[in-house]
Amino acid sequence: MYCITDEQVDFILDDIRRNGIEMEDLQLNLLDHICCIIEQNLEDDGDFEDFYRKTVRQFYKKELREIEAETIQLLTFKNYYAMRKTMIVSGTLSAGIFALGSIFKVMHWPGAAVMLVLGVIFFSFLFLPLMLLMKIKETSLVSDKLVMSSATLTGICFCLACMFTVQHWPGATNLWYATVGLSFFVLIPIYFFTGIRREGGKVNAIVTTTLLTGATACLFLMINTRPSYRMQEVKMYSWLQSEQLLQRMQGANTDTDKLAADINRISMQIKSLVLQNAIGMSAMPDDFERQGIFMEEGNTGPAFKDAQSGGTRLIAELKEKIKQYNAQHSTAPIPVAHTALDAPDNMVGRYSNYTILNTITQLQLYVVSAPHTLVATK
Amino acid sequence: MIYSTELIKGTLKTIVLKLLADNKRMYGYEITQRVKELTFDKIQISEGALYPTLHALESEGLLVTEVEYIGKRVRKYYSLSPSGKSKSKEKLSELADFIETMKLLLDLKVKTA
Repeated sequence: MYCITDEQVDFILDDIRRNGIEMEDLQLNLLDHICCIIEQNLEDDGDFEDFYRKTVRQFYKKELREIEAETIQLLTFKNYYAMRKTMIVSGTLSAGIFALGSIFKVMHWPGAAVMLVLGVIFFSFLFLPLMLLMKIKETSLVSDKLVMSSATLTGICFCLACMFTVQHWPGATNLWYATVGLSFFVLIPIYFFTGIRREGGKVNAIVTTTLLTGATACLFLMINTRPSYRMQEVKMYSWLQSEQLLQRMQGANTDTDKLAADINRISMQIKSLVLQNAIGMSAMPDDFERQGIFMEEGNTGPAFKDAQSGGTRLIAELKEKIKQYNAQHSTAPIPVAHTALDAPDNMVGRYSNYTILNTITQLQLYVVSAPHTLVATK
Repeated sequence: MIYSTELIKGTLKTIVLKLLADNKRMYGYEITQRVKELTFDKIQISEGALYPTLHALESEGLLVTEVEYIGKRVRKYYSLSPSGKSKSKEKLSELADFIETMKLLLDLKVKTA
């Protein structure tokens, strides 16, 4: 058995490095391997260098670096499995969270928004891009890659638009237009022209293109039937005018009915809670136009979430006061049937901010214009 | 007869996993020698195929390594991780099944030819 000296070990390691093996792990493995072969097979008085050259020569076809290249290739192929795993996990997770979030949203349970947003983010920024990367690797056709890329982009846009709409975030309408635009002008043309040219794919291409066009057209219609800025504007000014009318009438009224004052106080508190959620202020400032404040129709926020929330309890208190008021003024009671003030406490959170504001302002108008107060002011 | 590298390539992972399942821990050279021995020199694993495979198996978490110093050089011993143990069983039964299928497929071809 040949005995290898330390110098010879250094020599081999040096030679391996010089021949392009850079991974330290691989260097050490090869070094030990070569040493073993030499120790086992070389005669005690054999020519070390010559035997070494012959041994190493058997390791490769063209050059030693091949081994490292092969290792790297296998390691990146392993990434493929990791990617596929991530894709499957993120897909399942996002679908699960999204479904659960939808149920929570419909039931008005807390945590719905977080789940929906997380679900959409997982889906559009992890699952869809990963799926695209994997699919692109599988095909060599540029046209197929284009179709997949544009489809993924449209899909991401669609998911984001859904999320922005559900969350009442600004920019949802623009995202919808981007989705429709991408679908109409990028995805459908690319899909159609690559599909129609493919052998035997003609019918398939035509059918799918028709379906895609139909779906996009439906989406386009739906965006345009969503309440526009102009409709929101009308809603806001309509409420503001009732509010101004109320202030004018309250200014002319000097009645000091205790119950009426209570109703007014609670009403103001409820309105300020709604406004706080919608515009971040407890009252609409006089110069709201100059400040660029615009109130969109939306939900009333956490203060009205369930029967125990502050806003809901105020409404319950208000209902009680109205009952007392109506008992005292039986000739001209305040009608509350079929309004938001007629609903059970746990339903209050389902009304929009404008519904609550209009209901409360109207209630105050009833109070201020009650026949006995009008008589009193005469 | 020495089998072609194409034939060996597809089964190398399974061979390595099986050897490590039978022998607690082994190093690269030992693996090549054991295979040679067990197959009466019919299968000779090339270094160019063995080490890339060992590295890939290690990064997949199927193998764990320990290092021992032999004089100035380092010897890396490979052994199966818990997931490697179950994977080796899985791979083995897959290959056994494959061999059965190949028998069937090739026999059929011989008969119809």
